[in-house]
Amino acid sequence: MALDEDIETLDRHALVLTIWLTAGLIAATLFHFGAGAGGSAFIFAAFVVVAAAFVGHVIVNVVLGRDFGARELALGLVFYAVALLAFGVATLLSPDFAARAFWATSLGFVGLSAIFVVYLVTKSGARSAFESFDVIRSFRAGRAPRGETGA
Amino acid sequence: MTALVLSSLGFLFAVAIYLAVVSGRRLARPGEFLYGGGQLPSWALMFAGAGVLVGGLGLQDHLLLTAMYGLQASHVALGLALAALCAAMAHKRLRIAARAMRQFSPIEIVSAYYGGVALRVALIAVTLIFALPFAAHALGLAGNLVAASTGGVVGRRQAVFTLAVAMFFVSALGGWRGVVLGVAAQSFLMLALLLFAPLFMVGAFDHLAVFAVGPAALKGALADQIPGVLQFSAGVGKDVAAGGIFTTLTIVAAGGSLIGVVLSPAAGLLATTTRVRNGLAFQQVWLVAGLATGALLVAAPILAAEIAAADPAAFAAGAPSLQALVARLASFDALAAAAFLLMLFASMQIVVGFFVTAAANMIAGDVIHRFLLPELTGEGRRLAARIALAALYAAVALTAAYAPLSAAILGSVALPLSAQLLPAYIGLCWAPWISRQAVVTGFVFGALLVIFTEPPGLVAFEGLFLDLPWGRWPLTIHSTAWGLTFNVAICLLAALFTKSGQERGRRELLHAVFRQVAPRPRAGSTLTTAKWSLTLIWTFLALGPGAILGNTFFSKPMFTEGDVPLGVPSLWVWQIVAWFFGVLLTWWLAYRGQMSIVEDVAVPTVDLGPPADPFGRRAPEWLALLVSRVSSR
Repeated sequence: MALDEDIETLDRHALVLTIWLTAGLIAATLFHFGAGAGGSAFIFAAFVVVAAAFVGHVIVNVVLGRDFGARELALGLVFYAVALLAFGVATLLSPDFAARAFWATSLGFVGLSAIFVVYLVTKSGARSAFESFDVIRSFRAGRAPRGETGA
Repeated sequence: MTALVLSSLGFLFAVAIYLAVVSGRRLARPGEFLYGGGQLPSWALMFAGAGVLVGGLGLQDHLLLTAMYGLQASHVALGLALAALCAAMAHKRLRIAARAMRQFSPIEIVSAYYGGVALRVALIAVTLIFALPFAAHALGLAGNLVAASTGGVVGRRQAVFTLAVAMFFVSALGGWRGVVLGVAAQSFLMLALLLFAPLFMVGAFDHLAVFAVGPAALKGALADQIPGVLQFSAGVGKDVAAGGIFTTLTIVAAGGSLIGVVLSPAAGLLATTTRVRNGLAFQQVWLVAGLATGALLVAAPILAAEIAAADPAAFAAGAPSLQALVARLASFDALAAAAFLLMLFASMQIVVGFFVTAAANMIAGDVIHRFLLPELTGEGRRLAARIALAALYAAVALTAAYAPLSAAILGSVALPLSAQLLPAYIGLCWAPWISRQAVVTGFVFGALLVIFTEPPGLVAFEGLFLDLPWGRWPLTIHSTAWGLTFNVAICLLAALFTKSGQERGRRELLHAVFRQVAPRPRAGSTLTTAKWSLTLIWTFLALGPGAILGNTFFSKPMFTEGDVPLGVPSLWVWQIVAWFFGVLLTWWLAYRGQMSIVEDVAVPTVDLGPPADPFGRRAPEWLALLVSRVSSR
């Protein structure tokens, strides 16, 4: 029996939501404790949990034959940017936080970016991974039909 | 802490209601509200199945029992692996039967296969026991936890009614699909937090009590050993078993009672309404036998020892409580305490949401639609299910709020009573010679034994008539074992005389479908013998009388004079080894033995005839005769 596309999307969405909410709770707990009395090991552990959730999301995509949706990518980037911004503000405003958590958190953010790049290169190859972020090329490609018409 | 706990709970419900709403809006037809169109995703089966089993065991009760009785109580968690083996025996063929009979409800499938009304009534009764007292007990515990963790800011009854209303909305908006997705999400959360909690303690606490002072146990109970194969005790409430109540026979039967969850109509419904590829095998092997069993075996003694260490005074008084551990976690990090509480809440909500929704849907489909209002449309069936949901949730909330003791007493028979369905499932799936009469007779005797070795029968009989010479679990044998022993013996005896009755031809129709769709592997009788014998040997050594060897097997090896300093009790190592072999055995049966691999083949339809109408006007002959004799005078 062919399954409704809508239902399959819902099932995948529920699974991905489950993975991220669980990982989010655990990562938030670890980071909160790490930024307080716990120390760097807990902050690293928090980023490891986020990375594990990302790997889980990729596995779900592979098993279900899907890819990241545009909303998922946007949400992920927004979360990442907001977290980075909050980290920057906290570092500037709280010397105590900066002294305790700066290096571990910085390495965590760099590690997450590295994992995402590795994922892109593994999935699409180095050239395609780069091209997907080549804004100028995309911009030109978008303008190409008009240029041709003008010529 | 109060604000954090309440907002965490609110967030948990917000996610569940969100999943319910998006599920409800995507129903292709209103009639799919009841069973999700039989197209639930495999991942939901995997996680929900494991979560329901852990919830059925009672996570909070299990932790507290482990705190009171040590590793002997923790040993019961190995029963999850036994439940996984039972699921491998039953669920694949139940699913094939569902496809062949074009039905989803196990109540309908088992009743149609055996014919007659008695089994249908028994199945509905078991479903309602899970949905009412068992779920009410879980809801009451959740209410207690909210009241305690908010310091009384939210009262117990307020919490119970709020939780019930929230869960009703989840069930009424999302139907079966919405609830199962929510249960699966909460199961994932619970299992992840069960792993996370001890790991967090390892990192945050100076030392773990279980390694510093050993497993916790009340005075007089053996913390790191099983107190014998059995003891000549009259039972709980009559005398006190020396060293603790969890002898090997209690362990094997209490662990075995978890097959009651697997055989409950609700769990069967989960298996029949899922579109399965390798989902059944994955769930049984890796999530139930693997993750859930392993996590409980490792985490429960650690958490239990911390519960005991967090409030030594309460523990010494014989009343360990979770609140001291929550407060200690909160002193390190409030989020960690909230996560620990969420794990416990999730385990209780899984039980309530899952069993109540399944019961309401099956009542709407199998009783109201089939017998009372057969002309109901899809929308009518959905309305009937929602009315049944409202009635059941109201009953559960009222019981949990105003009669928690009754809920605990009546709920205690849910697992052992459901386990008495084992012969019925063996007959349905594997043995066409087991007749309706044999199953019903065995079930009646098994149920009587269960009721009279558990609080409901004991309390009622002693309150109405006279004191019985035995208490709960006499001879330290759990009620499941008392019931199943008599049940199976009488069932086999009755089957000897009724195996070739007229109804056998009808039952063979379904088994012909099994032979066609899921033929047994061609390795012959050796493999079949190996399957059963290895399962029995594993059960004997892991949970049964053989487990007594684990008391000293690794710390004082046989045929040696010296002791081996392990650093952990020998019994704990025995449990881990038994768990490892349990996973291996389940994997072998589920994957290599093809017992849980569902082939993607067309299943032919089988018609077993119209069901017997439980509301029909035909009275039993003996009753009609009696009435006519009396009325004619």
